[in-house]
Amino acid sequence: MNHGTATSGNQAIPPQIDMQGPGKRGGRKFIYLSLAPILLLFGVFAFLPIGWSLGLSVFKYNPLSDSALFVGLDNFIRMWSDPIFLKSLWVTFKFVVIAVLINIVITLMFAAAIQRIRTGWLRNLMRTIFFLPTIAPLAGTAIVWSTMFNYNHGLFNMLLGQLHIAPIQWLSDPHYALYSVIMMTLWADIGYNIVLFIAGLDSIPDMYYEAAILDGANRWHLFRHVTLPLLRRTMLFVSVTTVVSYFQAFAQFQIMTKGEPFNETRVLALHIYEQAFSNSNMGYASAMATVFLMIILVVTLVQLKLGRTEWEY
Amino acid sequence: MHRRNKWMDGSIMLVLAVAACVMLLPYIWMVVSSLKSNMEIVSGSHTVLPHQVSLEGYRTVLLDAPFGRWLMNSAVTSVVITAATLFTSALAGYIFAKHQFKGQKLLFILILATMMIPFQVVMIPTYLITAKLGLVNHLMAIVLPNLVSSYGVFLAKQFIEDIPQDLLDAARMDGAGELRLMVRIIAPLILPMLSALGIFTFMNSWNNYLWPLIILNDESKMTVPLALVYFNGTHMVNYNVVMSAAVLITLPVIVVFLIFQKQFIKGLTMTGMK
Repeated sequence: MNHGTATSGNQAIPPQIDMQGPGKRGGRKFIYLSLAPILLLFGVFAFLPIGWSLGLSVFKYNPLSDSALFVGLDNFIRMWSDPIFLKSLWVTFKFVVIAVLINIVITLMFAAAIQRIRTGWLRNLMRTIFFLPTIAPLAGTAIVWSTMFNYNHGLFNMLLGQLHIAPIQWLSDPHYALYSVIMMTLWADIGYNIVLFIAGLDSIPDMYYEAAILDGANRWHLFRHVTLPLLRRTMLFVSVTTVVSYFQAFAQFQIMTKGEPFNETRVLALHIYEQAFSNSNMGYASAMATVFLMIILVVTLVQLKLGRTEWEY
Repeated sequence: MHRRNKWMDGSIMLVLAVAACVMLLPYIWMVVSSLKSNMEIVSGSHTVLPHQVSLEGYRTVLLDAPFGRWLMNSAVTSVVITAATLFTSALAGYIFAKHQFKGQKLLFILILATMMIPFQVVMIPTYLITAKLGLVNHLMAIVLPNLVSSYGVFLAKQFIEDIPQDLLDAARMDGAGELRLMVRIIAPLILPMLSALGIFTFMNSWNNYLWPLIILNDESKMTVPLALVYFNGTHMVNYNVVMSAAVLITLPVIVVFLIFQKQFIKGLTMTGMK
């Protein structure tokens, strides 16, 4: 996962067994004293919740009545006959696949275009403009976009009106809702990948291009046979992190659509949250979270595997 | 590089310029909408530009809402989280990189493994634990689970491993204690990594929405993103008010970003952090 850490090679000097003598006892004390509180925090807020979550998934648990009933694998069995869960699984995959594909294609294109700009300030300006939305709170972005999508007084319908096109229910028409959220998500975070791709492109030495041009390569050949293969590490890193973060997309759905219309935008992250905190079905929600975790792990491993075999020669 | 085609370059620049304008559109929309008056919105005549510039929205935000309070809540929690994360990450990273103790490898792997866990998986138990500690609806609940960062420990270990052992040994010979070694020798050497970690930790806690949504419900305790959504719910019709709040929140973020832009971008490409 650490493809971005450019400067941290792993050629560290093997730690020597030093501190023979008086320093040693002080060293031990230092280790235990400083590690204890840190490990306590990790224990209470990282290790314990993971175990607890797995445990909770085999119980029927409502925090209000504070009664936990052991139900074995019932929660997991129930899931596969729960139409809303199945729907949300489908919506999640649809969202992730479409959004990630569009994201990678356009970020790579914009990065290549920005990287070609020779004027320094213009190049920086462009990069800044695309990067700016990524630093704003996503919740705020979602609210601004909700008003832009508004049927009566939103920006998009006003623009359509200017072109004499009938207005669209951007967020409540089942055909458009998911795509509207995808549009907003892309606006909000293409900046990251653009910056990462620009850095990746910058690291490709010019001589590869020069050699290819001498061999008579055209633009497409250059891109396909020089740029893409040399960008593989960046590409792998970008796709893994984008997929993981889009699986967890939550704020835009919770604020803009609440999973409506007809559960067309009810992604798993939202469904788990609502089951746990609106319906107080914490056991069932934990079981779904476990499945969610498995899906993310498997998808990540598959990506890493594909990334290696496809490019590693 | 290669022979440049003028037409091609021109059309690429044109596409880029159009895309850049589209990227700026929501900002323009936000500012323009915030300047509409209540009357204009109620009257139902809908145009992009306001008929008459009005500051009603801003007045409502600043006078009728605990706006300053929300900013303070966000600022205090984010600063505390950032300072603590930098300290604990550097300390744990130093110990994992340059010291040896029983179970070190296993512990480090366990900490690394938590990096892969999405928040949706741990949010339910974390809520139950926080509730047991009696911190529901308390700002402490925002801070406490975020004082350590597995990614921070990982980064710090990677960077501290590259520091030559001789340098540390020499300082120890001179009688420097471990804590002094950390502050005087190690911290300056990993400063670029620390500043990247600091920037992104601050940004993530400033922008965090899901955890505050779960744990805070009192209007006066809310952090900025949550407050903005809450505010949106109570001022549904008067979107000029909500847009004013959004402008007031976005403006400082943009200014801060423009000042630290170089560090931001360098940090992102150095650590791959979001």
